[in-house]
Amino acid sequence: MKLKNMADDLNGMPDRLLQAVLRHVPFDGWSAAALRAGARDVGMEDSSVADIFPGGPRDAIRAFSRAVDLRMVETVIGADLEALRIHERVALAVETRFEVLSLHREVVRRGFSFVALPQNSPLGTRLLYKTVDDIWYAVGDRSPDFSFYTKRGLLAGVVASTTLFWLDDDSEDRLETSAFLHRRLADVMKIHKARKCVETARDRAISPLRIVREVIEMRYGRPVAGDSQVT
Amino acid sequence: MNADIDTPRKRRTEHGLLPGDPSVEKLLERIVRVDHAGEYGAVRIYRGQLAVLGKTGTGDVIREMADKEREHLETFDRMIGDRRVRPTALMPVWHAAGYALGAATAMMGEKAAMACTAAVEEVIDEHYAKQAAALGDDEAELRATIEQFRADELEHRDTALEHDAEQTPGYEVLSAVIKRGSRLAIWLSERI
Repeated sequence: MKLKNMADDLNGMPDRLLQAVLRHVPFDGWSAAALRAGARDVGMEDSSVADIFPGGPRDAIRAFSRAVDLRMVETVIGADLEALRIHERVALAVETRFEVLSLHREVVRRGFSFVALPQNSPLGTRLLYKTVDDIWYAVGDRSPDFSFYTKRGLLAGVVASTTLFWLDDDSEDRLETSAFLHRRLADVMKIHKARKCVETARDRAISPLRIVREVIEMRYGRPVAGDSQVT
Repeated sequence: MNADIDTPRKRRTEHGLLPGDPSVEKLLERIVRVDHAGEYGAVRIYRGQLAVLGKTGTGDVIREMADKEREHLETFDRMIGDRRVRPTALMPVWHAAGYALGAATAMMGEKAAMACTAAVEEVIDEHYAKQAAALGDDEAELRATIEQFRADELEHRDTALEHDAEQTPGYEVLSAVIKRGSRLAIWLSERI
């Protein structure tokens, strides 16, 4: 539902303006100057820029990030994921996103500088959240429990660090980035495995919940045989 | 007669909103999130009760209700994924609190367990009724689901009352405490 609305936006005015703005961001940063220059290129009044991006550069960067996410989701959903394991699907999604961004590396670099400003850091966090949320959606994860949060948290770390690496990766076909990404995902899998170990250990050891459960089982769990049981 | 007056206009969800209310999108997210949390809590409560009373005569009655709640939870599990609503971050809390409430009341006796069920289901009933009233014809499917679940919950409440819930010593107090707790859980799960 939400995704379709964004697709409509993309074909309309904001996208045209955004495309023009993107050509100026490498030089002017995510700034009012870049917005004005972009508007001039497509023959738009400064006032209509304010209509489309009332929040100025903040809204423009949000529109950019969401448009990239949307294209990533469309591509990944269209791909054949059946044979892939879950971390391979995630890797595919992240790499697809870099593919979409491949012509806009300087734009992304400027974006990092923009959200590094203290007043913009909530925006950066929100956009990162939206991105990892879209990635999990695209790869078909529909967790309805607390792992919803751990998954997003872990992936946010992977995406942020890999994107920083990608900014300075000049290897052919960005193979270094791909390798970096796979190493990060392997780290996360290790966390996952470690957690499983801790959980088993915890279940074997003494835990308050376990004590409660066992007391209940001792008291009520056994079939009541005669009246020898102490009540 | 004027046809305009006779044919009721379609009532959309946003028609019920007042200035200052959350937007429709937010309202729907809250509804799905809190209902998912509620059904999860219900499943945990019944599991706690069954741990204590599973092998007694009331075990089968509780098991039947627990099965219904599990069906409800599965429906909301699906919905939370399809509608891309985040589950409440308090899931681990409800995991433990629901079980504890169920086990504690069950240890107080079968009647107390039934009093707990009656109190919780009563709160859920009024909560679902409020939601169904807020939803317009554009969300007819969700509204129908909620209405159906509400009927199930009412049935559970009646079952609990039939099993002498009200004869628990201190029924009024126990019921009031559980109701207050359930309402707080609803309030929190909508938001967090």
